[in-house]
Amino acid sequence: MASPQMRVQSETPTPAGKGRRSALRLLSIERTDEIYPVLLEEIVALGHPRALIAKVNFETSEIAPSASLNCSKALLQRFETTLFSMENPLARILHTLEPELVPGRAKRGVDYYHHPLIYRNSTACWEAERARSGKCVAVENYHCHLKLQLQQQVCSICDMRAYAAMAVVEVKREATETDIAELRALIELANRYLSRLFKVEHYQHRMLDMEITITQMQTVMESMTDPVILTDPQHRVITQNKAAERYFRLPEDVSEGRVRAVELNNLLFSAALSSMAVSGTDSSRDMTLVDAIEGDEVLFEAVSAPSFAPDGRRTGMVTVLRDVTDLRRADEELRANYEKLRQAEEVVRQDRDRLNLVIENVGDPIVVCDRDAKVALLDPLALELLGSESGRSTLNMRNQSKLDAYITKFTYSFSDRESAPIQLTHPATLQEVEYDARSGKIYDERGLVAYTVTVLRDLTSVRRLEQLKMERRMLEMEKFAAAGRLAGTIAHEVNNPMEAIKNCIFLLTDQIKPEAGPVYEILKAETERVARIVRQMLGLYRNTEQVGNFDVNSVVEDTLMLFARQLDRSGIRVDRELNELPPALGSADQIRQVLSNLVVNAKDSMNQGGVLRVRTRKARKHDFTEVIRILVADSGCGISSGMLRTMFEPFVTTKGERGTGLGLWIVKGIIENHGGKLKVRSQPDRGTVFSIELPSVA
Amino acid sequence: MKHKHHILVVDDEPNVLVTYRLILQQRGYRVSAAVSSEEARQAITNDGIDLVLCDLSLEKQENGFDVIEFARQKDSQVPAVLLTGYATPEANDRAHELGIPVLFKPIDINELLETISALLRENYEQHEATG
Repeated sequence: MASPQMRVQSETPTPAGKGRRSALRLLSIERTDEIYPVLLEEIVALGHPRALIAKVNFETSEIAPSASLNCSKALLQRFETTLFSMENPLARILHTLEPELVPGRAKRGVDYYHHPLIYRNSTACWEAERARSGKCVAVENYHCHLKLQLQQQVCSICDMRAYAAMAVVEVKREATETDIAELRALIELANRYLSRLFKVEHYQHRMLDMEITITQMQTVMESMTDPVILTDPQHRVITQNKAAERYFRLPEDVSEGRVRAVELNNLLFSAALSSMAVSGTDSSRDMTLVDAIEGDEVLFEAVSAPSFAPDGRRTGMVTVLRDVTDLRRADEELRANYEKLRQAEEVVRQDRDRLNLVIENVGDPIVVCDRDAKVALLDPLALELLGSESGRSTLNMRNQSKLDAYITKFTYSFSDRESAPIQLTHPATLQEVEYDARSGKIYDERGLVAYTVTVLRDLTSVRRLEQLKMERRMLEMEKFAAAGRLAGTIAHEVNNPMEAIKNCIFLLTDQIKPEAGPVYEILKAETERVARIVRQMLGLYRNTEQVGNFDVNSVVEDTLMLFARQLDRSGIRVDRELNELPPALGSADQIRQVLSNLVVNAKDSMNQGGVLRVRTRKARKHDFTEVIRILVADSGCGISSGMLRTMFEPFVTTKGERGTGLGLWIVKGIIENHGGKLKVRSQPDRGTVFSIELPSVA
Repeated sequence: MKHKHHILVVDDEPNVLVTYRLILQQRGYRVSAAVSSEEARQAITNDGIDLVLCDLSLEKQENGFDVIEFARQKDSQVPAVLLTGYATPEANDRAHELGIPVLFKPIDINELLETISALLRENYEQHEATG
């Protein structure tokens, strides 16, 4: 490109003498605002009395003098106008852009030479050149002698606002054509220099703007916590932020480990960039870098984007490294959680299968209904009773409607559980079966009924079982009675001979020689013992007759009456509390035997007197069956813990010669045969409590 | 005691019968022993009886109640004691109605002796009162 200086010389006639000096003076100016004063001085130096420059303010459209030489205030005021005041020569000439000699006011007879100064150049600026566009406003102003239009005085290439001004010169009186030409050449030269300086200043402003932008960008970069790196096309680092320096810049206190870490990081990074550049498609890559300060390994995802110059050249890459250590960890956790969830799901599935298996094997029909009492699930047995959607017999439907009535009532009731007897006909046997329907509710999280579950228990089988139990108990009692009868028969047979022996021994009292005394005593004691055993066995025999319903309270009363005198004689107070009882089933005589044995034991344990407490009451067990409880408590000597273990075995006694060891054994046998329970609690020197539980006749 | 009380002992076991007789004689009673209801009736018919001590179950279909009733036909106030190894509830009830104490074998001899003397004293006092 040719130098502007050369162009000036070729276009304008070579100024001679004074003109050349002016040209050189103008050329030496480096700032736009210095042009006008020098121009004015040079104009005056040409012999013209005064001159001024009026500038166009594009913001306000005002035209006002900005520099002047030898001008009065009044004169200057004459040149204040606006671009729209077309009657004013200033505005008019600015629109025509043709220099013009305007005659002054008639009285003074001076002419004013008006020369418009606008941004114009014969060659396009750098930017326009690069953009390969002739639309540079300077060139347009140069070539086209268009009227000055405000909005057009902005360069479409570089957005630069052009300048417009008017040089006004009061022409010397004896001015010739040559003088005017000379003036014109001077002003145009000045304008040419002004245009150049204006462009340079524009570039300078642009440069300052860019510096600001760069600083802003750097601030943005630094403020990013992720490492950001700018590289050139050869992957050399141009710039990087602090976060990146941690990994890629050699630290000042050069320790070998850090240096190696940084070198390795750089190597990894440029390798990653190269491979990304080669593949052309990948824009991200994972890499593990070592934190040069902490020494930790950090997993990064490098995201790169190529950077381009305005002309489309590749200038390098911008790479942002994202610390994905936490992200990956979160990802792993997510995976682990997913796995856990899957396992939980498996457990739930297994539970469900197991539950299904349980339901299938309960052996009772199960009906699950939803909140509207509509059947949701049936087990195979219930299906048999109620039929399926596809096939339903009249019987099925009758069963269904019976069950519906019950379940609907339960579903809309306030109770959590319900049980009721319900008669259904079994389709296979055509027999009416009595079921015990037991229902419960399942609530959802809002506390509303979600499902009801109803289990139908076949009561006939339960009844049959109860019957069987009862029969077995009767059989047991019968067996005990038979054993008792056998024992009784034997005892009866032994009884008479023994009576004779006993009487003989009595008769021999006082007739025994002293040396035979001990033998006689043994004979007497052992005989008495046999007598007691026989008596006990006969008691068993005596009391095995009638089995039926009886009132426990009256048996207790009888027994206590029987022993009233004996107890009274022993100084024992009887404390009885007999509550109303349902009838018991069994042998009243056997229970009398039981009570007799317990009362005798109690009496024997209270040598020094005491209290015998007898209490009866009815009680309800967990399964709602009613039982009769009998309590016999004494305040006697109690039973040792060793004895508690063996006291119910036959022939175990604490009464020595006087006891048979059969009493409690018989008690236990009788209670067990009645389907009852016998419990004992005892504390030495405090007393003993026997509690008996007998089933009642429901 | 001015006169010895006459007690009739009835038991179908001869050995037992002998021992009762000996014990009662030792206690100073006049004792007639009968091994059957037949013998017992004879004794009652032949002699005045102050007390009948009788086993409940005798030979064949006879029982102590028959003997006692026979005795009471002669003397409606005559006291009696029943001895038994085993008594049905009916027998128990009947004895109770008739006011006859029942003693179960094996018998406590002291209790037997006490019962007998009490009954005799009671009967004697009544006798004195009425006639």
